[in-house]
Amino acid sequence: MELRRYRAPFVALGAAALVCAIVLVLGAAVGAVPFGFSIVLGQLVHPDVSTQAGRILWDIRIPRIAIAALVGAALGMAGTLLQTMLRNPLVDPYLTGTSAGAACAIAIGIAAGADASLLPLLAFIAALATAALVAALARTGAGLSHERLILAGVSLSALFAGVVTLVILLSPRAGTALSILAWLGGSLAGRGWRDARTAGIYAGCGAALALALAPTLNGLRFGEARARALGVDVDRAGWGILAAASLLTAAAVSVSGVVGFVGLIVPHITRRIVGADARFTQLASTFVGAMLVVVADAVARSIAPPLDLPVGVLISMFGVPIFIFLAFRRRST
Amino acid sequence: MIHVQGVALAYGGCRILADVSLTVGDGELLAVVGPNGIGKSTLLRAIAGARAVAAGEITVDGQPIGSLGARARGRLIALIEADGPLPDHMTVNDVVAGGRLPYRPWWRWSSTPDDRRAVDAAIGLTEIAALRERPFAELSSGERQRVWIALAVAQDTRVLLLDEPTSHLDIRHTFDMLTLIRQLTAGGKSAVVVLHDLNVAAAFADRIALLGERTLLACDTPARVFEEQLLGRVYGIPIAVRREPDGSVLAFAVAPGRSR
Repeated sequence: MELRRYRAPFVALGAAALVCAIVLVLGAAVGAVPFGFSIVLGQLVHPDVSTQAGRILWDIRIPRIAIAALVGAALGMAGTLLQTMLRNPLVDPYLTGTSAGAACAIAIGIAAGADASLLPLLAFIAALATAALVAALARTGAGLSHERLILAGVSLSALFAGVVTLVILLSPRAGTALSILAWLGGSLAGRGWRDARTAGIYAGCGAALALALAPTLNGLRFGEARARALGVDVDRAGWGILAAASLLTAAAVSVSGVVGFVGLIVPHITRRIVGADARFTQLASTFVGAMLVVVADAVARSIAPPLDLPVGVLISMFGVPIFIFLAFRRRST
Repeated sequence: MIHVQGVALAYGGCRILADVSLTVGDGELLAVVGPNGIGKSTLLRAIAGARAVAAGEITVDGQPIGSLGARARGRLIALIEADGPLPDHMTVNDVVAGGRLPYRPWWRWSSTPDDRRAVDAAIGLTEIAALRERPFAELSSGERQRVWIALAVAQDTRVLLLDEPTSHLDIRHTFDMLTLIRQLTAGGKSAVVVLHDLNVAAAFADRIALLGERTLLACDTPARVFEEQLLGRVYGIPIAVRREPDGSVLAFAVAPGRSR
């Protein structure tokens, strides 16, 4: 009975996982040096770095795709978590100030001449610190006020955005301003296995917490007051969800900069595919998010090689019109 | 068994109710009546442990409600409020299954055979099997009320707290709803129901708690609570009470220019 009831979301989830796997392989085939599908599959089954294809795939392309998938999955999951908790489809994972805090730290770091290898760590720490500050401001008694959370996130984001603009305007060298802007546009250029490992550990912790909270999220879909009456510890759940979403977003921001829009639209796409049950949306949002960023990154790498466009800019330019078309087509028909 | 002893409730720093003491026995249906804004819903939420009391103590089955954790409260008390946001993208089955949340550890993703049996029984008892797969948001007000009751039945608690379960219902659906609640109390549950219609309260409740003048003015059988002078004072309008030969009572407002 139970399996039959959930057959449709199970099938949709399986299909999303399958398509995601295919997209990951296709993503590895596309680039300045294109490879056949069979070569990529052959390398995945029997890695051989003695060949040129093997070196390109294992040293450059696959780590980059792994990071793209990680960024998409993390932002998609964080967006789903926050939209479900706040019962607001307009919420973005950057609401908690993570991107603005990280951007501010990165801007100051670049302007101060910090080593490029230190920037991801700097972004991660700043993102988490900002999320903690927003959470502290949103705290009322033992609970978490949703209104205060949104207000604190928006206010601090505006403050940090002002600081970033100031740093760009005051920076004496044009290169500094360009580096900051490239980071703000969201880019995966030059990322390697080391970045993937570090971000993967943080995102993995956030994802584990998010998946553990899936049944609790289903309780919150009844609204806060009813969830309390149904035995949900709403206050504790709020802190857990905020911690998971902040970890996921900080991990993504640390390796990719500000890739906008993913965390906003992935929950919408996911709900259309598997429904609103948090147990399915949490998992499906990782597949959909990963697919979205991997496809955008493949386009960014191959649209005008050797130019490597910022993936965040590309998602905004192509993703937004497609999303608007899909979202509004149903209403007009 | 619910014990409310010397309870005071405040709202936004202002004390709205003081010195409220009452008891609701097993298998008893207590109706709470009183003018708008007097604190009926607030009292209900305090009994559910969803709202702190300014003074006094509330115990359910001998346990102070404030000392219970969220899940323990959810297994002991079902609170159904008609107002509030609608659960999004849920079928009727999903909503009723929500009643099993207090029994599900955080790490368990799927329902147990016990959960499924409880949901099936609740849907059967409340006669909503035909609605089971329909989106909750598309139901009429009356249908939604039945689904909320089904959720409370699936929650399988000793205590039912219902805030205006008959608001928006016509006379037939009101009758069905309260008959269903009586059926549940006949099985040993205690129920506290906030109602606006005095005659519906008198027809179905074992006792009536009348709130007014920032306190509990009376808590007794309908025949004893329905005093013209008392009701008139609480509601601020002339109210006539008619006593029937079978012992039942009716209360009605006397319209201006009409005789009793």
